[in-house]
Amino acid sequence: MKKVIITVLAAFIVIISAVAFKNVYSCEMPIKNRGIRDAISSGDLDVLFIGSSTFRANVDMPMMDKAYDGRVYDISYGGNQLVATSIQYDELKRRSDDRYGLIVFELGPMMITQKVALSDSRVIWDLSWEGKKALWQSMYEAGNTDLPMMYEYFVTSGMDDLITFPVTEPFYGTRYYKGAKTGETGSPGKEWLEGEEFDISDKELVQAQADAVVDIIRKCRNDGQSFIFVESPCYYRLQEDPTFRKYKEEFVRILEENDAPYISASDVDFDTHNADYFEDMNHMSAEGRRAYTAELIRVLETQPEGQVPAD
Amino acid sequence: MSLISFPFFIFMCCLLAAYYKAGEKHQWKILLIGSAFFYLCSNPLYIIFIIISIVSTWYLMRNPVRKNFMLTIAINLGLLIIFKYSVNLGVHDLIAPLGISFYTFMTLGYAHDCYDRKIKPSDNLWHYALFISYFPQLTQGPIGTYQDMQDQLTAYHPFDLQKIKTGAYRIIIGVFKKMVIAGRVAFYIDTVYSSPKGYGGLTLIVATLFYLVEMYADFSGYMDIVCGVSEMLGIRLKENFRRPYFSKSIPEYWRRWHISLNEWFNTHLFMPSVTTKWNKKVANILSRFFPKAKKGTLRLIVPTIIVWIITGVWHGAQASYLGWGIYFAFIMLVSFCTQSGVKKFNAKIHWNPENIFVKIFQVVRTLVFLSFGEIIYRSERFSDTIAIFKNIFTDTRINGAEIAAAMTPFGNGNQAAASMIIIVILVTAQFIVELMKEKDEKAFTGHRYIYAFAMLVVIALFGVAGKSNFMYQAF
Repeated sequence: MKKVIITVLAAFIVIISAVAFKNVYSCEMPIKNRGIRDAISSGDLDVLFIGSSTFRANVDMPMMDKAYDGRVYDISYGGNQLVATSIQYDELKRRSDDRYGLIVFELGPMMITQKVALSDSRVIWDLSWEGKKALWQSMYEAGNTDLPMMYEYFVTSGMDDLITFPVTEPFYGTRYYKGAKTGETGSPGKEWLEGEEFDISDKELVQAQADAVVDIIRKCRNDGQSFIFVESPCYYRLQEDPTFRKYKEEFVRILEENDAPYISASDVDFDTHNADYFEDMNHMSAEGRRAYTAELIRVLETQPEGQVPAD
Repeated sequence: MSLISFPFFIFMCCLLAAYYKAGEKHQWKILLIGSAFFYLCSNPLYIIFIIISIVSTWYLMRNPVRKNFMLTIAINLGLLIIFKYSVNLGVHDLIAPLGISFYTFMTLGYAHDCYDRKIKPSDNLWHYALFISYFPQLTQGPIGTYQDMQDQLTAYHPFDLQKIKTGAYRIIIGVFKKMVIAGRVAFYIDTVYSSPKGYGGLTLIVATLFYLVEMYADFSGYMDIVCGVSEMLGIRLKENFRRPYFSKSIPEYWRRWHISLNEWFNTHLFMPSVTTKWNKKVANILSRFFPKAKKGTLRLIVPTIIVWIITGVWHGAQASYLGWGIYFAFIMLVSFCTQSGVKKFNAKIHWNPENIFVKIFQVVRTLVFLSFGEIIYRSERFSDTIAIFKNIFTDTRINGAEIAAAMTPFGNGNQAAASMIIIVILVTAQFIVELMKEKDEKAFTGHRYIYAFAMLVVIALFGVAGKSNFMYQAF
């Protein structure tokens, strides 16, 4: 019986130690080319993007680098949500004393319809213990938590990355530059983009995500932080979808009600009908990314004082 | 009540306490009450159907004449067909009572053995009820026989700490297979097989191999858990798996996979069909077309087709299951019919079956044929089956981009490689354990505490929580 107790106890100690390490120190892991820690270690920035994989795929970082003398970074996560974005902003401000000229948040119309959840285990990795707790609290308040999810969130999520870190990190590191994608992704072709099925008609507004937009605006104003919301153009079929348009109007209404600056997809000279520009409905090909980034830089420069990066 | 859940843990603790506290006369009653409680936890209303099955079979088979035997078959198969194929029969989409397939097999096996005078019919309804409803084997088997189980179930089992420890160790192995291996590959397989047309050959091969892994880890993991639970109660269940993926032929595979089901089909359907008069007549007719074929081989043809079609349809009324049954019937028949020819050919070319390379070739060949069958079985639509085979055989690119693409079903690019590495390590570890055990049954029996420690840590840190349903529960 003694051996049984020792075995269970030893296993328990190892498990608790691994879980504690992951939850407290994962945000300190030396991750290169992406994430909050790497963004902070870049020092003062003129432009900082915070968004989802759309920003990751659609912003060309070498072009941005050239335009802003390297003082630019992109913090993005797969399916990143507005609630999570708000927490990531807090995290940044808590952990860094650096100056951020302009923070560009994503104006993703469908983001306000997303269930409050953990969309990417990288979010868990990048957040400190306080951030992790805050995100869990938001998920809990939205009624989207249960015991297995709690287990996944605090115990198993990101554990694969932790264990394989020495092997996988060098590989991942080459796929990004300052948080943005580096791959020369091509377009699957017009036929594919025209035939790709999608149905977003059953999506509904999630109040917590809409509230998070207001929350982000309020926090930036309180901190004296320049900010802007940017909508990245999608392939015209998605861009013109009635549900998509409905939630874009809703998102824009929230921004206008709160007198927040934004750049709509239509404010940028970009051909959303050009199939060569897209990898799928909302992610651009390398060609599209460069065409869009050139326009985005131009439009950002035309923004009124207070929303553009300070010298 | 899932076997991997906190309520089941509490249930087992209470049951074990009551079971070992009960005296010699009452121990089996505790087991019967526990089994009834377990059943009631699934869907209280459906206990009525298992009661109908138990009472009618027990009563009718007390006098095991042909009429009663036929009536028993009609009642039990009738209930099974109504619940299992209600949608196809245009009745209603009924939820099948827990374990109906498995307890129907046990009931029919019991009735057949009584009718054939192989066993003496039970004279105690409650003992018989315990045999059918014994909770560890109720939902997914193993399909126990009355001869094997009855004495064990009603005998007195004094508390034995060694058995508790052995049982707990077996449960840990089962949970490891289910939560860590099956749970992790399931996500990949579901992603690929839900829309296989968009994936390249390499990804589809990986998904199909993972499916073999999932099936074994899920089903044998379940068996490890129920055997462990039963071991704790002092009752040994029949082993249902004997490292089937090391089989050197498809017939051998079916002797090592889901052993109790295949033995059931062999004893109660295949062998009786082989010896029937009508089958002899069919064999005589076939001998006119195949004059050189042995009569014994010809007698296997129709029963093989019947058994495999029934096995396929038993899984469900979908075309994919029927296709799967026909496929394996064909493979089995080819195997039977070519057996002697292949032996002669092997002798001619001095093919040594003990040579390690020959063995590896045979095992790989079996896995390839098996994979083809599982593609038919797992595909959601016939068009998917065709697309999978087409992509596997035509899209044979293996390069950096394809390897990267083969990882994506695990999630977005950030986690995919890490998940793939972890699963490859875990599957390799499991493979090594199985390989060593194949060579020596006693391998890995020492140092149990170290293995238990390692498995507990891995289950806790890498297990998939919240997916405690087992694949065969659906059948």
